[in-house]
Amino acid sequence: MALYSQPPMSYTQEPTTAPVEHRFNPYSDNGGSILAIAGKDFSVIAGDTRQSEGYSIQTRYARKVWQLNDKAVLATNGFAADGTNFVKRVKQRLEWYEHAHHKPMGLKSIARMIQTMLYGKRFFPYYVYNILGGIEEDGTGAVYSFDPVGSYEREACRGAGAAQSLIQPFLDNQIYFKNQQPEAGSEKFVPGNLPLSTVLSLVVDSFTSATERHIEVGDGLEIYVVMQKGRSADDLLDEKKLAPGLKVEELGALGEGEGERTFLVRQSLKRD
Amino acid sequence: MFLTRSEYDRGVNTFSPEGRLFQVEYAMEAIKLGSTTVGITTPEGVILAVEKRVQSPLIESSSIEKIMEVDSHIGTAMSGLTADARTMVEHARVTSQMHNFTYDEKIGVESCTQAVCDLALRFGESVEDDDALMSRPFGVALLIAGIDEKGPQLYHTDPSGTFVRYDAKAIGSGSDAAQQSLQDAFHKQMTLVEAHSLALKVLKEVMEEKLDENNVQLAQVTPAKGFEILGETELKAVIETLAA
Amino acid sequence: MWKQPAPANSSFNDYNTFPLPQTQRGQSSHAHGPVGHTQQPLVTGTSVLGLKFDKGVMIAADNLASYGSLARFRDIQRLHPLGKHTLLGVAGDMSDFQWLKKELDALLREEDALALSDSHPSLSPKNIYELLSNLFYARRSKMNPVWNAVLVGGWDKVKEESFLAYVDLLGTTYTAPTLATGFGAHLAQPLLREAFEAKAGINGDGPLLTQEEAEKVLDDSMKVLFYRDARSINKYQIATITAEGVSISDSKSSDTYWKFAEGLRGYGAQTQ
Repeated sequence: MALYSQPPMSYTQEPTTAPVEHRFNPYSDNGGSILAIAGKDFSVIAGDTRQSEGYSIQTRYARKVWQLNDKAVLATNGFAADGTNFVKRVKQRLEWYEHAHHKPMGLKSIARMIQTMLYGKRFFPYYVYNILGGIEEDGTGAVYSFDPVGSYEREACRGAGAAQSLIQPFLDNQIYFKNQQPEAGSEKFVPGNLPLSTVLSLVVDSFTSATERHIEVGDGLEIYVVMQKGRSADDLLDEKKLAPGLKVEELGALGEGEGERTFLVRQSLKRD
Repeated sequence: MFLTRSEYDRGVNTFSPEGRLFQVEYAMEAIKLGSTTVGITTPEGVILAVEKRVQSPLIESSSIEKIMEVDSHIGTAMSGLTADARTMVEHARVTSQMHNFTYDEKIGVESCTQAVCDLALRFGESVEDDDALMSRPFGVALLIAGIDEKGPQLYHTDPSGTFVRYDAKAIGSGSDAAQQSLQDAFHKQMTLVEAHSLALKVLKEVMEEKLDENNVQLAQVTPAKGFEILGETELKAVIETLAA
Repeated sequence: MWKQPAPANSSFNDYNTFPLPQTQRGQSSHAHGPVGHTQQPLVTGTSVLGLKFDKGVMIAADNLASYGSLARFRDIQRLHPLGKHTLLGVAGDMSDFQWLKKELDALLREEDALALSDSHPSLSPKNIYELLSNLFYARRSKMNPVWNAVLVGGWDKVKEESFLAYVDLLGTTYTAPTLATGFGAHLAQPLLREAFEAKAGINGDGPLLTQEEAEKVLDDSMKVLFYRDARSINKYQIATITAEGVSISDSKSSDTYWKFAEGLRGYGAQTQ
């Protein structure tokens, strides 16, 4: 009996080389970058149009920024398949809400809903960084940023995606005036008050710089501008005031048309 | 009369040849047995008033609860089988909080009313995997008062699940006379104070007992303070204005 | 590009000469028994190429279905027409491809039946592509992927324009005037883009390639793939989809040149 009380060593030993685990990975990283900046009476939401995987460019035009309704625009970045399917579900929820409550969903409500939708998949997350921009109920420009599982906050600006580490410090400096000192006797800097023309050039500079320095950013730039009702759009539509290479197009109202206006500004980026 | 109906008032979800659902109609009758309840909309807010039938001097009148808070901006008053209203108010409260949690905003008064009415027709023989529904229609009607971005609103719901918005509405046993009084006295520019006295005046007319602070309840929803049930002192003050 | 099938034990089969099917041991067993999920592809097809031209779109794929590194089935058609104006080119697991064919053919047969008794519009290439995208994304979300990368080519009768788009096992989707899966994305896509942009320009607004030019570019690309992709074979077909419908060529071969190999050590008849 004693002979068999302990099995021979060779039986108990684990194989020295474990079998290679081969498990399906349901995620991918499709590169690109997005960015949004809030103004006093407008909000700007932008993203490049390159979609890539590893060193391959899959397409030079894939949408990352989506108009949700007359006062909200959503930018998604990360795993493209999750991004498109997430936006699809957000749009579906917006439609259901309109049927149930006879009004378009407000921006802060969209933000909260996105949190619940993301957190709802906490244990199989949408691998997507979202930035929501638009006009708040009180008419102010707003930006909300999210992490993949739904943490969110309202901010004056936010960059995300492959070039976040290049864009965000630039924005911190230019929008939040970090590491800047007002001249003696001059007024204090207040974030979120820059004119649209300044914001637009900051967006363009952010993306041209990111394109130069990051291989996953480039090809095209789409900038959505949402304006408070009654605000003049002269600073955007005047060809002379606009930087060369920018093309502006006004997007028609999606809903009843309560006065907010959305514009799409396009520009090409380097393709290498 | 019962003989002719008997075939069709058994199954709660069976139409009669004339196209009526008798059980639902009987449920509406149950409301007419209930105590009178009044609601009035004004530009300053909405008020709700109920008669509390204190059948015995040994009843602690404050334990009769016929006006309930749904959310900080919505309240409801009931008439009929008040026990049934608990199910509905519970549903309204959960729906309101779910809405607030999901959308970071207060639910609309109409949406809240709709949510309550969605329950109304979920009765009948339960089908398998159909989670616990009522075996009969609710025997209660509600006046739902609230304020949202569309302003002060008053809704009436009945056992058929229909809801209608009113400037002023009376339900319960004295509703016919009360509704007529409301119609005569109501005007769009009524103040909240005027509405308080009108509501109690109307109740006084239809009540058998002498109206006092123990057998009526008054509540209001205002933009500043939301839903509140008026306390004894406030209620007494309104009752005093009636006497004068 | 498809990963080598995992060997049962990495100290064994170092040369990846054959794939060993693996059954999931122990894990993921429900009350109803273990669910059979595709954890790895077995018999696979390699690259598929797609290219738009002035009158439609072309899709090319070779006739090989490999079993690991073994050229197992050498007369497999990987181009599958769906209705009059749509065609799939499929890479990846061939059994999943066969399942996909069965499902889609059944669906199309149902649609055809409806069209007999009703003014029922036929499925456009876009319709079929959206369906396929939703299917692939839903399956990847169940951790049971359809292990393929698919090019959908077609002619949109309503818009009178060609259609070309990609979808894969992750549910990733994109469109571009030139597309390639797997190895083709690395080896052929640059050639396709170069040829396309030479005429159409980088914005694609110039004239497109003619049918003859497009076929030449695909022939050249398939030759390059045969030279450099060890999982390819010199026998391929090209499908052409135009307003007139789908036509799939007979199998053809590239003229290849191996003279240079004679001077290479290990190829020629050197004796030392």
